This record gives sequence, structure tokens and C-alpha cells, in this order.
Amino acid sequence: MTSQQLPRFLTYQNIPLWRHVLIIQWTAQIVSAIVVVALVVWFFANISNAIQDRDIPFGWSFLDREYQTPIGEHFIPYESSDTFLYALGVAVTNTVIVAVAGVILAIFLGILIGVARLSGNWLVSRLALVYIEFFRNVPLLVQLLFWLFIILALPPVREGYVIANALYINNSGISMPWPLPTNYAFAVIWIAIAVLGIIAGLLLDKHLSRKETETGKSTYPFISGVAATLLIGAAAWLLLSFIAGEAPFALSVPGPEGRFGRIAGGFTARAGLLVLLVGLVIYTAAFIAEIVRAGIQSVGRGQTEAARALGLSPVDTLRRVIFPQALRVIIPPLISQCLNLTKNSSLGGAVGYTDLTNVAVTMTQTAPAISIFILIMGAYLAMSLTWSLIGNIYNRRIQFGSRR
Amino acid sequence: MAAIQPAPPAGYELPPPRTEVGVIGWLTANLFSTWYNTALTILAGAGIVLAVWYGLAWIFAGADWTVIAKLGGRFVIGQYNTDAACPGNNCFWRPQASLLLVIALLGMAWGMKGNAVARNIAVAVTAAAAAFAFLPYSMERMGLDVRLLLLAGIPALGVGYALARFTPLGSGMRITIAGVGIFLLTLLLLRGLPADWSVPGLQPVGVIYWGGLMLNLILAVGGITLSLPIGVALALGRRSQLPVVKALCVTFIEVFRGVPLITLLFMSQVLVPLAFPQDFPLNSLFRAGIIITMFSAAYMAENIRGGLQSLHPGQAEAARALGLAGWQTTLLISLPQAIRNVIPAIVGQFIGLFKDTSLVYIIAMLDIVETGRTFILGNPEYLQSAREVFVFVAIVFWVFTYGMSYVSSKVEESLGVGRR
Repeated sequence: MTSQQLPRFLTYQNIPLWRHVLIIQWTAQIVSAIVVVALVVWFFANISNAIQDRDIPFGWSFLDREYQTPIGEHFIPYESSDTFLYALGVAVTNTVIVAVAGVILAIFLGILIGVARLSGNWLVSRLALVYIEFFRNVPLLVQLLFWLFIILALPPVREGYVIANALYINNSGISMPWPLPTNYAFAVIWIAIAVLGIIAGLLLDKHLSRKETETGKSTYPFISGVAATLLIGAAAWLLLSFIAGEAPFALSVPGPEGRFGRIAGGFTARAGLLVLLVGLVIYTAAFIAEIVRAGIQSVGRGQTEAARALGLSPVDTLRRVIFPQALRVIIPPLISQCLNLTKNSSLGGAVGYTDLTNVAVTMTQTAPAISIFILIMGAYLAMSLTWSLIGNIYNRRIQFGSRR
Repeated sequence: MAAIQPAPPAGYELPPPRTEVGVIGWLTANLFSTWYNTALTILAGAGIVLAVWYGLAWIFAGADWTVIAKLGGRFVIGQYNTDAACPGNNCFWRPQASLLLVIALLGMAWGMKGNAVARNIAVAVTAAAAAFAFLPYSMERMGLDVRLLLLAGIPALGVGYALARFTPLGSGMRITIAGVGIFLLTLLLLRGLPADWSVPGLQPVGVIYWGGLMLNLILAVGGITLSLPIGVALALGRRSQLPVVKALCVTFIEVFRGVPLITLLFMSQVLVPLAFPQDFPLNSLFRAGIIITMFSAAYMAENIRGGLQSLHPGQAEAARALGLAGWQTTLLISLPQAIRNVIPAIVGQFIGLFKDTSLVYIIAMLDIVETGRTFILGNPEYLQSAREVFVFVAIVFWVFTYGMSYVSSKVEESLGVGRR
């Protein structure tokens, strides 16, 4: 075959065929695809051989079987007679609850420490530096075990510390007063209305801020928004109490019960949950603090000076000028920290918290390991995709309007 | 700029007010500038005083450090020299010889570079090893041979220094090769010779007995060395215009980044053996190392991709215009600048990898953390000493990670990051 017979795009400037960029690229692609596909096929062939020859169990029928194993900590009702599928759901809930609570607390603590790091007060900024440098550089597992053994070294339930007859601190955890729903339907309705109230408050805040910007008259957007939220919540509370004859939530105070003085009532954060949450928050906050610091420092000094020159107060400068710009730098790494916290919650097993990985590891003793791993990998990937999605949506909203 | 105020006549130059300079000025500016700053200072100061007071009281009076002494060498080499791992208990010299090799390598780095960083690290490691030779253990617990091997670090440092200084070994490429060689030699030395050769002192020691800090360091060094090139390859693949290569790299990165390492490690124990033929020589250390490397490489790829994105497209265009080939542009122009831009992120990932080596507990390997934990759980009389154990382990990790960030900041300085 001569070069004249080849298609025109392959004969450009008489470059030899084997040096043609398209040929090289496609060869590279095909070779890499073949290598990867061959490897994957080999792995699958080996696995299916193992399933057949070595009697490695595989299948999905176990999902409907009874799990028959207790799950230490669960936030939705669970009995040992529930199925594997339901037990996995319980485990996912456990992980999600720790992840969401941990992320919220870690962001608060992280912003606090990040701002402290930039404080003009030398002592405060050094303290924040020591915090960051220490907690960032020690493995989370070591920190978790440290907190765990501190809790385990506390006195047992009957000799535990009691603060104001409401807070019980002992080696099985911390019991605190907690609002418990008196009637599930009304409780859910009230929560729904309260969420609507928050949304209404946010919308009002936005509307009044715009009005303030347009007219230059004080409209007190923040105070009005909070007031609207509180009003809606309180009105719904009173109305529901009036209809049901009792408030949708009642405060339940823990107290010793029975012969062994077990703590009943209220909410008991058991050692595992407590340690995991505290450890994750303290660890992740150190990373978030650095992200916040870098974000604030990325905003030019001139921005602060210009804002001050325009007569904005220091608080307004930070809130209206610096922070909105810093957020653009902060959000992407912050989302990856949220993702890291979610994944790090898989260390729960080391401190006795039944998170998804811990439950899955226990399950492999009575169910096919391959199937379980496919399921939990899917669950973790779904969680990480959710975080990326939240991050991307939020990130798009705060970008400069004029840029791309 | 025109002077706004006329210069004061001679003899009238006043010194700045005493409240603006010196100690008083510094204090006013940094601690007591406003009323809330003063309040913060007092609050923070009170907190520090209380923390230091109780901390010192705990360290010197409250804490019972005998548990650290009791565990002693277990923290360093785990069960390596126990009866189960090494009948005859004469294998202790192998980790120690490995340490000597590492010190010699550090000496070579010092001899070649001659700079303060290499010297500080080499001298610090040698000094720490030598200091351990004088631990107040009884001679039965810690024999003369152990102590002498620790002290042998000093001549080993000298030998390494001299090798790099006065022989042709002292070039970057050769030292890199020597480093890889020493790492492999260390693995071989620790694993031992086949049992039927029956060389006394070199009997094989199963990897399940490798433990303590040694295990963390082996996994970290192997993972760090391999995850950077793999990460670079993945980052380039992800930015490539070839759809198949790109899709493969994106899938790899996202899967490994989306699943917790601990889950992957457990999977390496349960699933990976199934994915290979039954007689495939794949031990648990190797599997754990591969998983940790892959996990870290996926993160590394994202860091390097960030660095590549930070480059101005003009760099690559200029290189192409000067006649460099595609691979030359990538290797000589883009990558060096990209990696230099993200050194902090890369070292952060190295530190993360080193910390993550503590997760091997899930596959029943006794690293330094798990050594402490199993000891406490197995000896309930030490339950009250758990805090001491984990504070000690935390300090050990902190020293290493601090060393890594120290080296990183010095490397950045020498590369002139932020100055050009």
C-alpha cells in the first residue's frame, strides 16, 4: 500500500506511518485497553474459579435471611431477627449520621480555629497553630484510641459523675436530656413546618438584603429572618400542642433506673459514638482550619483596606467582603475534607461503633464476602458522589458571575 | 515622594515613644491592643497555664511510664524476635543491620549534598540510635550486642559520607539506585533465607511477625516511593486527550478515592487472594503495601493534576514552538513546574500515607499502634496506662511527620517556590 492510497489525513507532510500521531495515539489506547481488559478478565476468571472450585460463597439470597447478630448502636429500630438487607441499611444510617453530625461540628470548630490562627493576638494565634500542628500530624486511629481509653478509664455507671441530676458521665458514655417525640406524626409535621420556617426566614433575609442594597435604608434583614423562623416554629408548636393536647416533643431527662442503676431516658451517647464523633471532629477541624486560613489569606489585602475605607465595620468587612471571596478558595478542599471525614468514620470499628465497614466485616463471617464488598463499595461511592454533587452545585453558585 | 513634613532641625530627633518599641511595644501591639484582645490574652494565658501545669503534673507525677519500658523493643520491631517468629531469638540483628544501611544512605545524602537539611536528618537519626544504646535496661533485657549495633550507626554514617564524598557513588542517580537497592536488601534481610539453607541467624521470618514502627516505616517508604510515579502517570492519563486512557484513569482514581482505605485493606485480605491463582506468592504485607500505594497514588494524581492545571498554557506552547516533542514538553517543562507548585500537597499526602499505615490493624498486622492496643487489651492491669501508651505513640508519629514537613519546607526554599 503506498501513501497515495491512504486517506488524506494520514498522509500529511509525508510523515511515515509509524510516526503518525494518530497511529501512535490509537495504538497506545488499544494496547492499554487490551492490557486492562485482560487483567480484569483474568481476575474475574480467577474469582469465578475460586467460587466454583474452592466453594467460596457468592450470591444475593443472603439479603433476605435473618442477620441474627446484634448491632451495638442503631438510630432506627433494629432487632436481631431483621434481614441482612435491613441490617445494612441500619449500618448505612449509622455512618451517615456520624458523617453529617461530624461535618457540621468540624466546620464550626475548623472556622473558629482558622480565624484564631489569623488573630492579631499573638497568644491565640500560637495556640491555634499548636492545635493544628499536633492534631493534623498524629494518625486518627491513635487519637481515637486515646479518647476511647480515657472514656473506658472513667468510673462505672453507678459511681459515675452526675452533673445537676441531668448529665451522667461514666465509662459507658454520656447521658443527656433530649427532646423525645410524644407523637410521631405530630413530631414529623412540626419538623417539616420548622424546616419551611427556616426556608422562609432565609428568603426573607435575602429579599430584605436586596431591598437594603437598592434603597439604602436599613431593613434589618438578618434579625427579621431569624424572627420569622422563630415565629413560624413557635406558632406551629402552639397549634400542634393545642390540637394534640400535648407538645409534639417532651424533654426526657435521664436518670438511674432499676437494681443496677442503669441510666434510662434522655439520650445516651455511648462510648463508641462519642469517641468517634469527638475524634473525627477534632482531627478534621485541624485540616479545615488550615483551609479557612489559606482561603482568607488568598483575598488581597487591598480588599480589606478598600472595605474599611468605604466605611464598613470590621465585622461587615469580614462578612460581606472577605468571606464571600474566600469561599471560592475554601469550598473545593472543604468538600474533600467532608468526604475524608465520611470515609474516616470507617475507623468506628476500632472504638466499638457499628459503622458500615464494621458491620460489613462482621457480616463476612456469615455471608458471602464478595457480595458484601460489592454492596458497601457501592454505598461508599454513592456517599462520595453525593458530597461531590453538593460541592459542585454550591461551588457553581458562588463563582464570579463574569468568569466563564 | 515629596516630604510632607519638614525634617526636624538637628538635635531635635526624638526616639520613638517607649510604648511603641521593644518589649512593651510588642506586648501592646500583639497582646493588649484592644479590650477584647486583652480579655482573649488573659483567657488563653489562663488556659495555657492550666494545661501546662496539669500536663507537667501528669507527665512527672501522675503518669506511669513503666508500660513504655515494658513494651520497649516491641514498639520498634513488633514480634520479630519472638520465639514464634525466630526460633533462637537471634534475629534482632537484622532490623538493626537494616537501620545501619539506612544510616549509611543518609550519610551518602549528606556527603553528596553537603547541605544543612541532609546533615541535620542524618545526624539526628544517628544520634537517636546511639542514644538508644544507653537505655537503662538490664543487660539481660538489652544485650551488649544490641547496644553495640546501635552505636555502630556512627561509623556507618562516616562510611556513607566518605563513599559519597570520595568515590564516584556521590551522584544523584547513583544514590537513588543505592537507595532502591538498600530498600530491597532490607526487605530480603528481614525476610531471611529459605529454611532448608539453615543459615543460623538468617532463618526466614514470616511477614505476619513483622511489626512495630519497622512495619510502619517499610510500608510508608515503599508506598511513598511508588505512589509518586504512579500518581504522575494517572494525572497525565486523566488529562490526556485519548478517551480510553482518560476513562481508565478517571475510573481508577475515583474508585480508590471514594472508598475508605480500611475497607480496601480488608478487601485485600478477603478478595485479592481470590483474584489470583491459589499458589500465587502474595503475602499479606505485599497486598497491604499495594493497596496503600494505590490509594495514595489516586490522591497523588489529583494533587499533581492541580499542579498541571496551575501552569500557564503558554509554557507548553512555548516548548512546542521551540521544537520539543510531546514527551519532552511533559517531562522537561510541565511536570517539573507542576510538581514544584504542589510540593506542600504532595508532602501532605506522604504524611497522610505514613499515618494511614496505622490502619493495617484491620488485617491483623501488629504495627506500633496495634502493638500497644493488643498489649493493653491482653493485660488488663495496664488498662489505666493506655493514655501513656497512646501519648507515646502519638509523639513518635509526630516526630516523623514533623521531620517530613521540615524537609518539605527546606526543599521548597531551595527550589525558590514563592520567590520566582
